Amino acid sequence: MNKKTNKGKLKAGWLLVLAVAMLLTACSSNNGGNTQPSNSPTTNPPTENANANTDDVEVKEDPLKLDIMIAAFSTDLPDDNSPIIKALEEYTNTDVNVQFVPNSSYPDKVNITLVSGEIPHIMVVDRNSASFINAARAGAFWDVGPYLKDYPNLAQAHEVTLNNTSIDGKNYGIYRSRVLGRMGVTLNVDWMNNLGLSAPTTIDEFYNILKAFKEDDPDQNGKDDTYGIVVSKYSGPWDIMQVWFGAPNKWGEDENGQLLPTHMFPEYREALKFFRQLYEEGLVNEDFAVMDSAAWNDPFVNGKAGAFVDVADNARRLDNAMQEKAPRDTPYTDVFQAPVGPKGHRDMPTSGYNGMLAISKSSVKTEEELKRVLKFLDQLNDVEMKLLLERGVEGRHYEMVDGHIKSLINDDPALLKEIESLNQMLMYIGPEAPSIEQTPLNEKINAVQKANEEIVVGNPAEPLISEVYAQLGQQMDNIIADARIQYIVGQIDDAGLDAAIELWKKNGGDDYIAEINELYQQIK
Amino acid sequence: MNAAWIAKLKKDRFLYLLLLPGLLYFLVFKYAPMWGVLISFQNFQPFLGFWKSEWIGFTHFENFFAHPDFFRLLRNTLILGFYDLIFFFPAPIIIALLLNEIRLAYFKRWIQTLIYVPHFISMVIVASMTYVFLTTQDGLVNEIIFNLTGKKINFLADPSWFRPMIILQIMWKETGWGTIIFLAALASVDVEQYEAAIVDGASRFQRLIHITLPAISSVIVILLILRLGNFLDTGFEQIFLMTNSLNRTVADVFDTYVYFVGITQGAFSYSTAIGLFKSLVGIVLIYGSNWLAKRFGQEGIY
Repeated sequence: MNKKTNKGKLKAGWLLVLAVAMLLTACSSNNGGNTQPSNSPTTNPPTENANANTDDVEVKEDPLKLDIMIAAFSTDLPDDNSPIIKALEEYTNTDVNVQFVPNSSYPDKVNITLVSGEIPHIMVVDRNSASFINAARAGAFWDVGPYLKDYPNLAQAHEVTLNNTSIDGKNYGIYRSRVLGRMGVTLNVDWMNNLGLSAPTTIDEFYNILKAFKEDDPDQNGKDDTYGIVVSKYSGPWDIMQVWFGAPNKWGEDENGQLLPTHMFPEYREALKFFRQLYEEGLVNEDFAVMDSAAWNDPFVNGKAGAFVDVADNARRLDNAMQEKAPRDTPYTDVFQAPVGPKGHRDMPTSGYNGMLAISKSSVKTEEELKRVLKFLDQLNDVEMKLLLERGVEGRHYEMVDGHIKSLINDDPALLKEIESLNQMLMYIGPEAPSIEQTPLNEKINAVQKANEEIVVGNPAEPLISEVYAQLGQQMDNIIADARIQYIVGQIDDAGLDAAIELWKKNGGDDYIAEINELYQQIK
Repeated sequence: MNAAWIAKLKKDRFLYLLLLPGLLYFLVFKYAPMWGVLISFQNFQPFLGFWKSEWIGFTHFENFFAHPDFFRLLRNTLILGFYDLIFFFPAPIIIALLLNEIRLAYFKRWIQTLIYVPHFISMVIVASMTYVFLTTQDGLVNEIIFNLTGKKINFLADPSWFRPMIILQIMWKETGWGTIIFLAALASVDVEQYEAAIVDGASRFQRLIHITLPAISSVIVILLILRLGNFLDTGFEQIFLMTNSLNRTVADVFDTYVYFVGITQGAFSYSTAIGLFKSLVGIVLIYGSNWLAKRFGQEGIY
């Protein structure tokens, strides 16, 4: 075979192939984990007098330019044409630019934003995140504590929550208030009625309901196609239910008054045994450990599962979704307080807040500007703004019926888009806005949440900031969370759980406990 | 000499102009950010900035190698890398050779187009599809398996299924796309050689072994060397999406670990050190395999 004649041609061919190969590998290397810090849109410094309109400069200040970063829960988000943002700008005399970040990647985006140095004027932050704490200590955010008393609404911020959200005694942000006793057990009303079941008052009764939902054909279709409770990758339901059993809420005192994490208490083990039983008997969905939390509602809505342990107001959302499929006058769901456990009636509270609004020093440079921004935040707590950002524009998104709000959105995508996620900038401090229509279900939700205040179990370590946790928290949490799930599905036994706790201790847990106790003694 | 150089430059000015965007791309996006690896020798604090952060030498590297997770990460990454090399790397070659034997041109094109499609599907979608098919709660595949055998296989949560699942996903998604290069190489094989071989009485299989494979062997070697350079790149997205509490012990790799400590915990210096370590291993592998290729008489990449 004679190769020589074609050698030149061949070589050219190789070069071409090589070029293509290089190009392809260059492309694919970009697909990999190369998370380049994506710079947030360039923020203009607040130019107070840039657009000075000479005519009314004496009458009115120029609109304040504000970048606000909040989490978004949808991809269809309000733009500058949203009548709500326009009304907000007019009421507060601002020029607001809302930076929406998908909720799932919000913590990552916060970390990257902090590094980029281009921090928006106002951003929602998690007060427990290591990078926020470091940034705040390095002076990236204003300590708003001393100023709050000058603003009518912000002055009403709750002392305890302010303390819980402080870092080294300073308030680097204004918390977003949440109902304290928010949790509840949501059940499918039809299934309860079909089987003649009544509200669960003890854990045993709760178990019996789940069992009946699985075995007694609650939807009466003659098929074995239902189960009890639906849980997703999100571990909230396990956290809530273990408190029912008497395990502390994250931290608890042992008999010597020393603080220990919840997974070191025997009640925690009891709760896990119960979860394991639920799994073995098929009362919880088999694939909970891998189920995406975005699909969490679906089995309940589609009539596969009959119980849901989460915030009580989810009863309304589940009912809404079911009403959409087949509208009817009575609700599909009912909501109950946590069942009573061996250590009494207990439930998990929220922290009383969910993140806080922090004001950046790099964008808001002077105290003058800070006061202007605080005025804006104060205004957000006016009833008008609460209504606007939570419910929309009257006559367009809602109407008032007997002093209550009746939504007009009815899942209209265009109207939803105008209001989507804007309530994320609300702090819910100060005067209360009119409530939504008092349907029986809404009344029940309110009653449950009100009653919960009596039974919620606080976390004594809530205000404490641990250095160890800031550095290693994520990995430490993973060890325990993974072991819990492995235990529930039977991958590991009690010895395996003990081994995981030992591993946790070695990987910073011991230092963490020591540090928390030291801090705890100081504030006690 | 200098004048001649300028004259040359002038003569080919348009060619150089064409080169410019590519050069700029590498300068701006690949070379300029590279000085950032220096923070792996620092205790980098975003608010002190690069210049004021403290220099701490090799501390991060020492901590990383001494970390109890290091060997688990290394092991998981290496095993995935080997699986990828053994199962995925030959797949496009085999498919390309098979396609090359199809004599009906329109049928060949049709197949080609069809197997490119998965490449354009986002990994997120692939992960959701995998969940829908494989989940034990009403998943299609498990329903079939259950009806046939009365048992279910927990593909998504069982650690022993994690690696096969990852490799199968990559194979489904990228094999078709990977054939492009080999098909291009196959197109340049001299037809006369086949004709001569037919005259000599070579069978189809003999032609494949003695003409086609030697003809594309240098492309295979080049791609193998390039692939070895990325040996420790398991791809972040896919692993991240398929990881859960039950398979994390085998799923943690360098790429996801860098994300966890770097982005979620804000340990930027430490994660940069890990990234740098990965790149160094990549460079060693590229040089090593290139040297080996030359020893075996192949062309290599430079």
